[in-house]
Amino acid sequence: MTDELTDKLAIDFCGLRFSSPVVLLSGCVGFGEEYTRVAGFSNRDVGAICLKGTTGAPRLGNPPHRVYETPAGMLNAIGLQNPGVDRVVDEILPTLDFDETRFIANVSGSTLEEYEAVTRRFNDSPIDAIEINISCPNVKEGGVAFGNDPDMSARVVETCRAVTDKPLITKLSPNQTDIAENARRCIEAGSDAFAVINTLMGMAIDIDNRTPVIGNNQGGLSGPAIKPIALLKVHQVAQVCRAHAIPIIGQGGVTTPEDAIEFLIAGASAVGVGTALFYDPLICRRINQGILDYLDQHGLNSVAQLTDTLVLNGATAC
Amino acid sequence: MTTAKPHRGTIHLEDAEILTHEAHPGGQYILRVHSPECAHRAAPGSFAHLTCDPLLPMRRPLSIMRTDPEAGWVEFLYKVVGEGTRLLSRRQTGESISVMGPIGQPFRPRPERPRPLLLGGGVGIPPMVFLADALRREPACKPLVMMGSEVPFPFTSRPSQILVPGIPDGVIAAMPLLEDWSVPSRLCSRQDFPGCYQGYITDLARDWLSALNTQHLQEVEIFACGPHPMLEAVAKLARDYDLPCQVSLEEFMACAVGGCAGCTVQVETDQGPAMKRVCVDGPVFDARAVFP
Repeated sequence: MTDELTDKLAIDFCGLRFSSPVVLLSGCVGFGEEYTRVAGFSNRDVGAICLKGTTGAPRLGNPPHRVYETPAGMLNAIGLQNPGVDRVVDEILPTLDFDETRFIANVSGSTLEEYEAVTRRFNDSPIDAIEINISCPNVKEGGVAFGNDPDMSARVVETCRAVTDKPLITKLSPNQTDIAENARRCIEAGSDAFAVINTLMGMAIDIDNRTPVIGNNQGGLSGPAIKPIALLKVHQVAQVCRAHAIPIIGQGGVTTPEDAIEFLIAGASAVGVGTALFYDPLICRRINQGILDYLDQHGLNSVAQLTDTLVLNGATAC
Repeated sequence: MTTAKPHRGTIHLEDAEILTHEAHPGGQYILRVHSPECAHRAAPGSFAHLTCDPLLPMRRPLSIMRTDPEAGWVEFLYKVVGEGTRLLSRRQTGESISVMGPIGQPFRPRPERPRPLLLGGGVGIPPMVFLADALRREPACKPLVMMGSEVPFPFTSRPSQILVPGIPDGVIAAMPLLEDWSVPSRLCSRQDFPGCYQGYITDLARDWLSALNTQHLQEVEIFACGPHPMLEAVAKLARDYDLPCQVSLEEFMACAVGGCAGCTVQVETDQGPAMKRVCVDGPVFDARAVFP
């Protein structure tokens, strides 16, 4: 990709330069090196990579099965398997090439104290930004239990904000009544940006055994099946963010350049890709190219000109 | 930072033309695709991640049965077990599918154990054929292959011309391809298939092991792929005879490159229990780690 093309795709995200609006999502790409196994894949093709959710102590995660294909999507319940923040910071971050892309930590915890400790540890590391995971549906404590309650969400953000100067991105759950109100509270608590949305809770059943297919019984639904929901949530959160110039990573079922463009129009500054990588590991290049083609066709000079350009029909609010 | 990263670029994406696609009884299919990078780099135990249909959001992992690096083809044996493999079975010769591979840690035979015993059950047969093909090229190696299936085997068996001491009389059915390679094989099933051992593959394996003298027994290493209960029984067999044993596992899989941790299995390590990814930490594991 030439420098000229990169400049057109580049965005400013909380003061960080992303060379592309495409962001690889937490939980899909391990700790940043896994997809480079695929010949032709490059971390340079994306603006940022969100690393696997990290907790204070190591976690083994959930029992198998952890993933299962469903119509136009998949369920997962990994359960935040990770080696703990000390190993991530001491052993994994030094192996990453920060010249290739931006790396974003994903912080999770069962208690406010754990969120605080993990964020503090990442603050003292080369990581570019910190994503607060208050929306993981696959752990018994913390995660979505915090994310579905605006008061608790705000407390988690406030706690993390107090111990880091790095850009703080709050990953919002779609499994709640009023995502916009939650976003409002998180902004007040110090969130610099949002990732919208995490997975939706779901289930699949093995009718021969009459048991859930997923070892954790329930899982998070991702993939094209959730894209319309994600788009609406991005649009709703964007209403809140606009006055504060708070950027959004729009995510949920992005599979084509057109999907990415929809999210940008809905209000996202960047677009997350996850499940689609599993089918097409080189999809980020295609999305970059598709966005560039769209910009050219519409006489636009940068991705930023596309963000939050949705024209609603009539006066109907949603 | 310019640290060497040897894992990079080891898995290849290829638009692979379907060269042949044979249907066999029991919903089994043998699929041969033109996939030269995968053919060149695959090792016994490797698998590939295939697109079955553009409408499905996930690929399917299939074990590699044979390769021809010169001709550039890779062959898979699979059984229709769900929507993905059902749609894959409809793909026609001449069509193109995306093949991502080779993936995974292969079998690593110990040279000091030149009497490898290869046990393949059902769709666990393919990696055993691939391994036999590699081992027959080792001059001092004398592999023996046993295969089990409860549906008709995806080939027409023929009476073996290779005598194997310790195998019960009448158990003569063999895989023709392996016979052609001069690799002895025997077939097992609880169905009434002619020439087959009527019972579990582990029982036939036990018969053969029991007939070995002490020196020969110490030259055995077991390799196995098949259903979980079979692998558990194989691991017990290996323990009973104090033999090293490598098993190839399968699990539902999303990314197949180690990114999602969706395909993990719990193993015992020196540091205690750990969750290992079947895709890149496996699919081949030490049986003692999986079945402690």
